[in-house]
Amino acid sequence: MGRVIRNYEEGDEITPLVKELTQEAINLFEGSAGNTGPSQFTDEHAAKEVLGTEGTVASGRMSLTFAIEMLRRHFSPEVFNHTGTVDLRFLRPVRPGDTITFTGKVTGVSREANGNRVSVDLEVKNQKGDTTGIGQGSAIVPNAFLPPEDL
Amino acid sequence: MAEVDDRIELDWDALEVGETFDKFEYLLTQEMIDTYRKGVMDPEASFPTIAHKVDVRQYNDKYTDAGSVNARCAFHCYNPPVAGKRLIVTAWIADKYLRRGKNYIVTEAVSVDEDGRLIDRVITHELKQPSEVGKKWGG
Repeated sequence: MGRVIRNYEEGDEITPLVKELTQEAINLFEGSAGNTGPSQFTDEHAAKEVLGTEGTVASGRMSLTFAIEMLRRHFSPEVFNHTGTVDLRFLRPVRPGDTITFTGKVTGVSREANGNRVSVDLEVKNQKGDTTGIGQGSAIVPNAFLPPEDL
Repeated sequence: MAEVDDRIELDWDALEVGETFDKFEYLLTQEMIDTYRKGVMDPEASFPTIAHKVDVRQYNDKYTDAGSVNARCAFHCYNPPVAGKRLIVTAWIADKYLRRGKNYIVTEAVSVDEDGRLIDRVITHELKQPSEVGKKWGG
């Protein structure tokens, strides 16, 4: 992918990202790191024991991953994979069968020594409209990715 | 023969902020990356390290407790890791706090690869009373 040169402004909406959580997806996420034993994420009995819930939940780190994906798509991998951050608070459990939607809005652009820092507010909602997570993200967009008038 | 669990039972009051754990190393394989990408339904997902939960791995190797639930997590991307490289993780206790009578521990970890390339940084706030999830959100 070529270098995308564009400007960023306060109020810019991030294209939303929608994910449907399944137990299979959760198992793959956990299994990718070799976590194959029963846990609150993969086993209903373990979830009941540890969390007191009737079913499994998805790790908050899956939501973190999805927020990173949304911002990577917005800023481009060339930028976000090297300067991106996400800080997410988990407000409600996300469970298998949930459809969660990530949204974001640019809240500020400030000059840094090596580019422009673009700050974003993030929100995650499930299919019922309940907020499951909120947070912030940012990326420092290097000067080489900014139009000349923004330098 | 059954393995002996020689982990220390967590004493939250005694836990020292700044405690740094032994370095943890692992080989990141292409299979791990592929499985991670399937799980997160994103063929370009670049940080499979997230699933490895390396910030709490060394803590969990040393301490035993009632379990935990992730309350907040921050992630800093520096360079996507490369399959076939060993990753070296340094993790430490970054903070601990009480909120509404509940105990939290903040762990932080930085990963670099075998060539010294900085990969990522992760900071996690864990609630150490995980049964609060069931109490608050029920079944």
